[in-house]
Amino acid sequence: MTRQLEHDVSPARRLALPILERHDAGADYVRLVLGGPADWVSLPGQFLNVRCGPEPQAATVTERREVPYIEDGPWPQTTGPELARRHAPLVRRPLSISRIGSMPDGVRIEVLVHTIGTGTRWLAEQPAGTVLDVVGPLGNGFTLPLDGRVAVLVGGGCGMAPLFGLADVLADLGRDAVLIIGAPGVARAPLEFETPPPSANRAEPCTLAGAVRSPFETVFATDDGSAGFRGTAVAAAEAWLAGRPGNARAAFYGCGPEPMLRALADLARRLDAPCQVSLEEFMGCGIGVCLSCARKMHDPANPAGWTYRLTCREGPVVEASDIVWEK
Amino acid sequence: MPENEIDLRVQLGPMAMKNPIATASGCSGYGEELAAFYDLSRLGAVVTKSITLRPREGHPPPRLVEVRAGMLNAIGLANVGLDEFLSEKLPALAAFDVPVIANVAGSTPDEYIEVCRAMDAAAGVAGIELNVSCPNVAHGGIEFGTEAAALARLVGAVRNVVSRAALLVKLSPNVTDIAVPARAAADAGADALSLVNTLRGMAIDPWTGRPALTNTTGGLSGPAIKPVAVYMIRRVWQEVAGPRGVPILGLGGIQFPEDVIEFLRAGATAVSVGTANFVDPETCAVLVDGVRDALGRLGVARAADLVGRIETPGA
Repeated sequence: MTRQLEHDVSPARRLALPILERHDAGADYVRLVLGGPADWVSLPGQFLNVRCGPEPQAATVTERREVPYIEDGPWPQTTGPELARRHAPLVRRPLSISRIGSMPDGVRIEVLVHTIGTGTRWLAEQPAGTVLDVVGPLGNGFTLPLDGRVAVLVGGGCGMAPLFGLADVLADLGRDAVLIIGAPGVARAPLEFETPPPSANRAEPCTLAGAVRSPFETVFATDDGSAGFRGTAVAAAEAWLAGRPGNARAAFYGCGPEPMLRALADLARRLDAPCQVSLEEFMGCGIGVCLSCARKMHDPANPAGWTYRLTCREGPVVEASDIVWEK
Repeated sequence: MPENEIDLRVQLGPMAMKNPIATASGCSGYGEELAAFYDLSRLGAVVTKSITLRPREGHPPPRLVEVRAGMLNAIGLANVGLDEFLSEKLPALAAFDVPVIANVAGSTPDEYIEVCRAMDAAAGVAGIELNVSCPNVAHGGIEFGTEAAALARLVGAVRNVVSRAALLVKLSPNVTDIAVPARAAADAGADALSLVNTLRGMAIDPWTGRPALTNTTGGLSGPAIKPVAVYMIRRVWQEVAGPRGVPILGLGGIQFPEDVIEFLRAGATAVSVGTANFVDPETCAVLVDGVRDALGRLGVARAADLVGRIETPGA
C-alpha cells in the first residue's frame, strides 16, 4: 500500500484550498482542516507551503489596487521564529500534513499550526471559509520498512502532526505501533484530548478522549511531569519498550525539536533499530530553488565525508543515521 | 488593443526572447524545478543558479531570513559545478523551447574564463551572465563588480572567449554610482547589463544578539529593493544603456505585472524575477500573460516600444 501511495502521490501544485474547520488546540496551536481535491494523494511526512497574509495572490492582478496592509510593528523586528512580527509575510510557511480524511468530492487535509510568528498567527486567526493559497504536496514521506518491528512514533509538540497521519496509514496496513507524544507541559501542548494524570516515570498508555483520536496505544510525556510520563518523549519511548513483554524490536519515526530527534537517533543506534526523522528548517521556497534549507548529511561519496542536502526536496524525512548533528 | 496583436518579443543583444520575462539567477535552481509548475517554454529566458568551476557546498545554514517586504540570503554560491551542469542540468533544459542564460561566478579571472569558454562551447547555452556582484562570498566576484578597472579587465578577458553566446554582466548595487561599472562593462564588450543583484544587508536578533545568518551578512532581495532597482536601471539607461544601445536585463523585487511595466519604463528591455518565485512558483508564467494584458491596457503594441518611456514632470 505504501508502494502504491508513493506511486500515486500527487505532483506538487499551487491550489486554492478552503479552511473547512478550525479547532483551537491548546494555547499555542490551532488545527485546521483544509478541503483538498479528490485526486489528492500525499504521504505521511510530506508538507504544504502556505501563503500567510492578505496580500493579493502574486502576479494575478493587473489592475490598480489597494494592497491590504497589516499594521507595522515597532522597530527593531526580531528574527528567527519571531521575525517580522507585524507585517504581512512574504515567503510561505511550511506546514506538515497531518491526517488525510475522506469526504464527498475531495479529501480533508489536516494541519497543525504552531503560532510562533506573524505568518502562523495570521493563519491561526483565519475562520472557516477562508481560502488559502497552498503549494503541495511537497517533500518526501516516511517509508515503512518494518520487518515485523513495532513502529514507535515519537512526536514533540507540533511534531506530533505528521505522526498522526503516519499512524493512520500504519493502522490501515494492520501494523503494530505506539504513539509517543511529548510536550514541555500540559500548558504548552497541542492538545485536543484529555491528558492522563501524572504517572512519574511509568510510560503508561493513555486514551485520547476528545477530538483527536489515535488508532494506537498512546503515551503522553511532559518534561515537567504535569501530565503522563515525567520526562522526554524519547525517555518515554525507551521506558515503553522496556515494559513491553518479550524482546520487542522497534522501528522509530520521529518529528519534533532538534534535541528530541538527536536523542531519538541515539536511542535507535543503541538499539540497532531503523530510525527516520522529519526535519524542520526555515525555507524560502519549499520547491528546491532557493537552497536555503540545507542540512549537513553524511556522504561517503564526497571527499569531505558530508554534503548539504535540501530539507524541502531530499527531506523533510531522512534516515537519522545520515544526519551530521550540529545543533 | 486586442491582446493577440501585442508583440512581446525583445532582443537582448544577440539573444532573441519571445517575451521579456526571465527567471533570476539563484531563484529558480537549474530551471527544471519550476518545470513542475508550468511549461518553461512560455518564458523569455531561464537564468540558472551561479555555476562555478568546481562544485560548492555553500554556507552553513541558516542561509535565509525573512525581513520586512523582503529577505536576506547568504547561500554562498552552492552549485553542482561546471561539469555536472553541462552533463546533467543543461541537457534537462533542452526539452524546453527557451533560451538558457548560464550565470557564471568565480574567484579568479582564470576561473571565470575557463567556465565561460566551456559555456560558450555548449550549444544549449544562449547567454552567459557574469556574476560580478555576489555579496556573500569572500571571493565571489564582487571585488570585480565594485572596482571599475578590475571589472573592465575581467569582462574584456571573458569577451575574448565568448564569441557565440550573449554576454551579460550582472552589476552590484553596492556601489556609489552604478553608471561607473555599467560603463566599464559596456566598454569592455558586454552585450547586455543585468541589474541589480542583491543589496548587502544584515539582520540581528535583538534578544540573543546573534546575526540571523551564519554568514553574518546577506543579500537583500524582494519588494523592499524594487525602488532602488528602478532608480539604478533608470540611471544606467540614461548614462550608458540608452546612448550606447546596450540593453538592460532588469531585476530587483518584481512580483506583479505592473512591476514589469515599471522596469521597462525605467529602461529595462527584459526582466528577471527572483524572490517572487518563492512566494508563488508560477509567478514568471503568470507575468507573461499579465504583461500582455497590461500592454493592451496601455495601448502599446510592442513591449520593446515601452523601454525607457517615462513622462517627465514639466517636459
